[in-house]
Amino acid sequence: MSTLLTYIAVHDGKIKRSSLEVLSRCNELAAELGWESVALVLQPDATKAIEGLKPYGPAKIYTMSHPHFHQHLTTPLLRAIGHAVKEIQPRVVAFASTEGSKDLLGALSAAHGSAALPDMSEFSIDTEGVSGKRPVMAAKILSSVRADGSPVFVSVRSGSYNPEEREGEAAVQELSFSFNDADLRTTLREIVTATSDKIDLSEAETVIAAGRGVKDEEGRALIRELADVLQAGVGASRALTEAGIYDPSLQIGQTGKVVSPQLYIGVGISGAIQHVAGMSNSKVIVAINKDPDAPIFEIADYGIVGDLYKVLPPFIDEIRRIKSA
Amino acid sequence: MIHFYVCLKQVPDVYAPLQIKDGELIQDSGRMVLNAYDASALEEALVLTEKHGGKVTAVLAGPEKAKETLRKGLAMGADEGVHIVTEEGSAYDSLYYAGLLAAFFRDKEYHFISCGKQSQDTDAGLTGSMLAQLLELPYATNAVGLTLEDNRLLVKRQGDHGQEMIELPSPGLVTCSNDMNEPRIPSLKGIMQSKKKPVETIQASSLTGDGIRSVTTLLGYEEKPKREPGQKFEGDPEELAITIAGLLDSKENLM
Ligand SMILES: Cc1cc2nc3c(=O)[nH]c(=O)nc-3n(C[C@H](O)[C@H](O)[C@H](O)COP(=O)(O)OP(=O)(O)OC[C@H]3O[C@@H](n4cnc5c(N)ncnc54)[C@H](O)[C@@H]3O)c2cc1C
Ligand SMILES: Nc1ncnc2c1ncn2[C@@H]1O[C@H](COP(=O)(O)O)[C@@H](O)[C@H]1O
Repeated sequence: MSTLLTYIAVHDGKIKRSSLEVLSRCNELAAELGWESVALVLQPDATKAIEGLKPYGPAKIYTMSHPHFHQHLTTPLLRAIGHAVKEIQPRVVAFASTEGSKDLLGALSAAHGSAALPDMSEFSIDTEGVSGKRPVMAAKILSSVRADGSPVFVSVRSGSYNPEEREGEAAVQELSFSFNDADLRTTLREIVTATSDKIDLSEAETVIAAGRGVKDEEGRALIRELADVLQAGVGASRALTEAGIYDPSLQIGQTGKVVSPQLYIGVGISGAIQHVAGMSNSKVIVAINKDPDAPIFEIADYGIVGDLYKVLPPFIDEIRRIKSA
Repeated sequence: MIHFYVCLKQVPDVYAPLQIKDGELIQDSGRMVLNAYDASALEEALVLTEKHGGKVTAVLAGPEKAKETLRKGLAMGADEGVHIVTEEGSAYDSLYYAGLLAAFFRDKEYHFISCGKQSQDTDAGLTGSMLAQLLELPYATNAVGLTLEDNRLLVKRQGDHGQEMIELPSPGLVTCSNDMNEPRIPSLKGIMQSKKKPVETIQASSLTGDGIRSVTTLLGYEEKPKREPGQKFEGDPEELAITIAGLLDSKENLM
């Protein structure tokens, strides 16, 4: 039987929602084709992810445990995934599109002499290969692409599918993995910064994004307060990550992250195409900008023309009032 | 003497108006630019070699008319250029270009190859790590800062949850984000000098190696599903704030 393999990303002991989205899509495609959808977890102790994964119904969970999987280390990851591909012989290896998978996809494709389809917003599988769509030209349009052969490496933009629980008892199989440290070709010297935000931006249901209009500590405090009342993740435009005002991990857009929340509130953001590339799939878009001609208003469901320093305080108060009512 | 090769790609300007007709993308073919991420990769290589001494070679694979983009790299300050001339109007994918570049690099000596983290038109982000794999080089992706230390490159890399510092030995390959510098605008002097700089021209067909082929097919283009038009509210900030908060609650059920 043919197999679809989903790579499951885990951060801080938590399975990433975006991986479950991809797994759910693979489950659905496998059911249509009469194939098998399986999952692969690489962690220091990968067995810890089993319980969290089972409800999402892969036919099988492959685990590989090694201390190196605590960090993102390119060589061990490539080696491990290569080993899993050899063991499992999947037709498709699917990833959530993250910086982690972007680091690996090209090398995996070249190592196997087979195709990679990165950053897909939808994909389907048939007996020959994979087809689907991906945003191009700073996400202004979609291109239709196809790759035949096996295995095809696919990565999927977060928010493209819903994670769905399903019946079934997954079998668990441990794959052995050993790694000689002499083979580490690069050295991880240090972790320079780590985001302390409890809410993962790419999974957040609500995102508050700050732009150049947020000039000072007072503005930042208002953003924090709004995020707190809405239990939202905070993101930023390049203008503010570049200026060192927000952590670079929080950048939303073509260079930064893709977000797809139920509610996105852009504060003091003009709506440059490279920023919009990362947030245009938000369900409801609210923009606060003092320039009535700011391009962000072209895509905003609710555009508030006004000074953020005057709009945010009553906005926060009113939301707090509604929430406590 | 550090020797950098920087891979430059000519890409369509994402700001140019575009149109889709019968699945084909119609765009002003005159509006082609140097990929922004490659400009950052080049800028960083120039800064490092200005500081530590060394040489920067710009390499571009593309049709005849892409030479102007290679020239731009030379005008920014690259010492020499290599143009791998491909057929006009062909849709090649990242594996094809990586294969081509690998065939070119196979017998070369260098310290580092630097690429953009992705092409700004397709956002593929594959060629760099493909090339590293084909050349069996260690690599690091999505660099937001580079420092040289005894012929080793310290790569500050942007990951999903923060930044990490990776030590990359030579020879190695790095892919660069545009979040590390403002690429210089070529000066008039730079543009004049660029005309005298050596450019080696190689026909793509003369490069051989297994795997110089595209493995993906571009079937066509389409518009994104349109968003429902929204509403713009102007007036007293306090009233606006209360109105919108109310709508997000009652109409959108988001509270
Ligand atoms: C290849 C490439 C990739 C890029 N990738 C990204 C990316 O991933 N993410 C990203 O964000 N950008 C990216 N950019 C940069 C992008 O083009 C813009 O420069 C950037 O998004 C602008 O950020 P901004 O909207 O905060 O700033 P600006 O464009 O300067 O807009 C600030 C806005 O704030 C408004 N404002 C000012 N004061 C107030 C106030 N008191 N109250 C209300 N409104 C106010 C102004 O009217 C203005 O509209 C990229 C660029 C390139 C070339
Ligand atoms: N035709 C090409 N010529 C030179 N460099 C290229 C070419 N195609 C891709 N690259 C390099 O690879 C990077 C990533 O490309 P891509 O895989 O298209 O996103 C680019 O930023 C360039 O540095």
